[in-house]
Amino acid sequence: MSLEEPEPTQSAEKTAEQLPTTGDEIESLLSDVVIGRDDHLNAPGVIIRPDDVQKTLRRLRNKAGFDHLSCVTADERVDRYESIYHLTSYDDRTRELSVVVPTTKDDPVSESAAPVFRTADWHEREAYDLVGINYEDHPDLRRILLPQTWQGHPLSNNYDQDRPQIVTLKEWENPLAEDHREEEGDTMYINIGPHHPATHGVLHVKTVLDGEQIADIDPDIGYLHRCEEQICEAKTYRHQIMPYPDRWDYASSGLLNEWAYARAAEDLNDLEVPEYAQVIRTMGAEICRIASHMLAVGTFALDVYGDFTAIFMYAMRDREKAQNILEDLTGQRMMFNYFRLGGVVWDLPEPRDEFFETIRDFLEDLPTALEEYHDLISSNEILQVRTIDTGVLPPEEAKSYGATGPVARGSGIDYDLRRDDPYGYYDELDWDVVTEDGCDNFSRLLVRLREVEESAKIIEQCVDILEGWPEDERTIQSNVPRTLRPDDDAEIYRAVEGAKGELGIYIRGDGTEEPGRFKIRSPCFSNLQTLPEMSSGEYIPDMVASLGSLDIVLGEVDR
Amino acid sequence: MSALLQSKTLLPETIANLLGLSGTLGAIIGGLIGAFVIANLLLVQTAVAGPWAKRKITAAFTDRIAVNRIGPFGLLVIVADAVRLLSKELVIPEGVDRPAWDLGPLVIPFSALLGFAVIPMGSGIQLADPETGIVFAFAAGSIASVGLIMMGYSSNNKFSLLGGLRAIASNIAYEIPLVITGASVILFTGTLQTSAIVAQQSEPLISIAGVTIPQWFAFVNPFAFVLFVIANLAEVGRNPFDIPEAPTEIVAGYQTEYSSVYFVLIYLGEFIHIFLGGAIAATLFLGGPAGPVLPGFIWFTIKIWLFYFFTQWVRSAIPRLRVDQFLDVGWKGMLVLSFANLALTAIIVGVIA
Repeated sequence: MSLEEPEPTQSAEKTAEQLPTTGDEIESLLSDVVIGRDDHLNAPGVIIRPDDVQKTLRRLRNKAGFDHLSCVTADERVDRYESIYHLTSYDDRTRELSVVVPTTKDDPVSESAAPVFRTADWHEREAYDLVGINYEDHPDLRRILLPQTWQGHPLSNNYDQDRPQIVTLKEWENPLAEDHREEEGDTMYINIGPHHPATHGVLHVKTVLDGEQIADIDPDIGYLHRCEEQICEAKTYRHQIMPYPDRWDYASSGLLNEWAYARAAEDLNDLEVPEYAQVIRTMGAEICRIASHMLAVGTFALDVYGDFTAIFMYAMRDREKAQNILEDLTGQRMMFNYFRLGGVVWDLPEPRDEFFETIRDFLEDLPTALEEYHDLISSNEILQVRTIDTGVLPPEEAKSYGATGPVARGSGIDYDLRRDDPYGYYDELDWDVVTEDGCDNFSRLLVRLREVEESAKIIEQCVDILEGWPEDERTIQSNVPRTLRPDDDAEIYRAVEGAKGELGIYIRGDGTEEPGRFKIRSPCFSNLQTLPEMSSGEYIPDMVASLGSLDIVLGEVDR
Repeated sequence: MSALLQSKTLLPETIANLLGLSGTLGAIIGGLIGAFVIANLLLVQTAVAGPWAKRKITAAFTDRIAVNRIGPFGLLVIVADAVRLLSKELVIPEGVDRPAWDLGPLVIPFSALLGFAVIPMGSGIQLADPETGIVFAFAAGSIASVGLIMMGYSSNNKFSLLGGLRAIASNIAYEIPLVITGASVILFTGTLQTSAIVAQQSEPLISIAGVTIPQWFAFVNPFAFVLFVIANLAEVGRNPFDIPEAPTEIVAGYQTEYSSVYFVLIYLGEFIHIFLGGAIAATLFLGGPAGPVLPGFIWFTIKIWLFYFFTQWVRSAIPRLRVDQFLDVGWKGMLVLSFANLALTAIIVGVIA
């Protein structure tokens, strides 16, 4: 952007204390644009005019260090539409800010934030698609989750569910009409997916090839959209929502997802969680992370190796061990539904010694298994040739796209919510955040393998703590009211470190037992946006490898 | 020794003599029956290799069990799979370019079978023994590329097209080193006739403590053997050189649009190709059907199965290269090395002889 103010170099040198953090400081920084305050439970909130979005966000990014646009929530209220930009900082996750942009009911037009934060591109498309806010100056305002022919915006208040979604035959006559076959030129248009062996689910990548190299690429998502947000808005806080997070990232990350909801809902309703339950949560979540990373590494190897090889089977074998432990703990293999608001549903399985023994056996075998992985994958020269310096995502780009989790840490961004915005029992434990500076597919692979070691460290400490826990103090749930009714207009955005990155949830209470707005910030959604950046100009196999290294689960991308 | 292993009469002649026929009629009938016998020997081996051995070998490498339900060691899965595959619907996509689309899957197995005509399989099993035998085997094997291109172009599918183009690129890049390396053996033998190449390898190389090591060219020139095996892997399109198919990249390459019988034919052709690659390697470098104690044909079978096992081993162990890296290895590595090998061999042969 030519209009962009030059990146200030001094912002990095400024310490967090000097940067405006409190609501009042920020208000004075933005004194000319702020028209009001709307503080959320997690962060101060400022209200700005819909045509000041870029100006505000750019200033906040450059002057106040808010360089991470975590999420964009769109919401239709009784008298207005709202776009909420949840900002935070990669250097200090506890600094949070909500920028609220109200627009009128009859003409919901707001300035796009995409020129400032590239991640806003997809987030605003989703807001347009589901809620119906129009963004001016947006590079490509199309529907993103629903078909282009969809009528109406499902999350808007006056959406008619019974309205027939019938489009004329002409529009669906040939879904491949955009084949570009007749066009003159040196490029070839090809649809990779939604049914393709390497798209990890139903992802459709519209690709323009120049020979074997990728000239242009446009991921098309939404094939697995299951209205998860809307489902949660129709369920009560206390028990009904918890089973759904298991189904967002269904590839073994269940407990991590549940924690995201638990954290947001507990903070919203001001619920305490007993320490004992926090330790169990921490342990369970890390076992989930290992299982999830095993799957990621196995399928990544599959994408690069090209055939079912030993490494995939080994990864599945070790994932299976983690899965068995989780099954012992929760009673379920994948759809755990184990967390409750204020704790967990039940205590560790009896006999406890046997359960701890199983975990210890698993942890004992893990270093050998990881050694094996390093032998088979990371020290394999052909794999190195294939993955080093391919799918490069420079840290600045990664930040602009809102990349988090192993994708960000593989680009050298030292950002991990478990440490930077502590929750659960993490800050009591001894472990490290893993980063790699390569910014390539190989780095992301290494980050995952090394994170497994760190997770093992955490689990081991948790087991030690749980073993020594006095029998009469094993409180697994705090006292939680039977029905939860957060105040009208109580708003919160809380995130946890999922296996794929920052999994955030925004909830607006409306005085009833059900959320007024429930928004999921999926890490895969933001990470997948980096794919064009990574793979433009590269070969198809590298694009496939990059896609594998992003470790997306379409259930979470599409929700 | 060579006389024992290599009967002077070829298979068609033997059959004609057994039937008491002579002249042109005998040659024709003997030839047809001989070809039938050899083709069926190979098809039976392919049937074992494809649905059964491949699964078992890969499973062993990846800590699995694989087929074990039907018949002893799951062997009857071959029958079950044959019935299953043949009874599937043959989907003919819109806009395919027939008859090229139909002929492609036929070309592949037939080109490979054709190559076996000149291979001495021991125990008197050899269909023909022309002066230019080994060149014929190479040439027949290469016809498969035409089949791949036919399938890639006629399928009306962009993944097929990419696969077809990749197949051409890889065949050109690796066929040259393959033939050049083969030529370095010809420098030793001075003949292209397969039976003569095999006969020459039965000469003793050295004798250690009463054990005579024959003059197999794998022992004489191990470097050429290694080169040949690598080029051969690429030629038969197995991992890590399976870029024309590359399931995770271009779905299934040239065979994306094929189902049912055509699918079987393509796979049949691929496996016969592996065996042909093994057979050429055995003929040029491993003394053909020669070996102690057991009859020649058994040794020949063991050798081609060893090569088959090797391809499956590599498939399970080595990642696939990217298409540009793959071509780099071919043009910048294999080609240079094979020419160096040829030149060195020529000098050595020139100095010794």
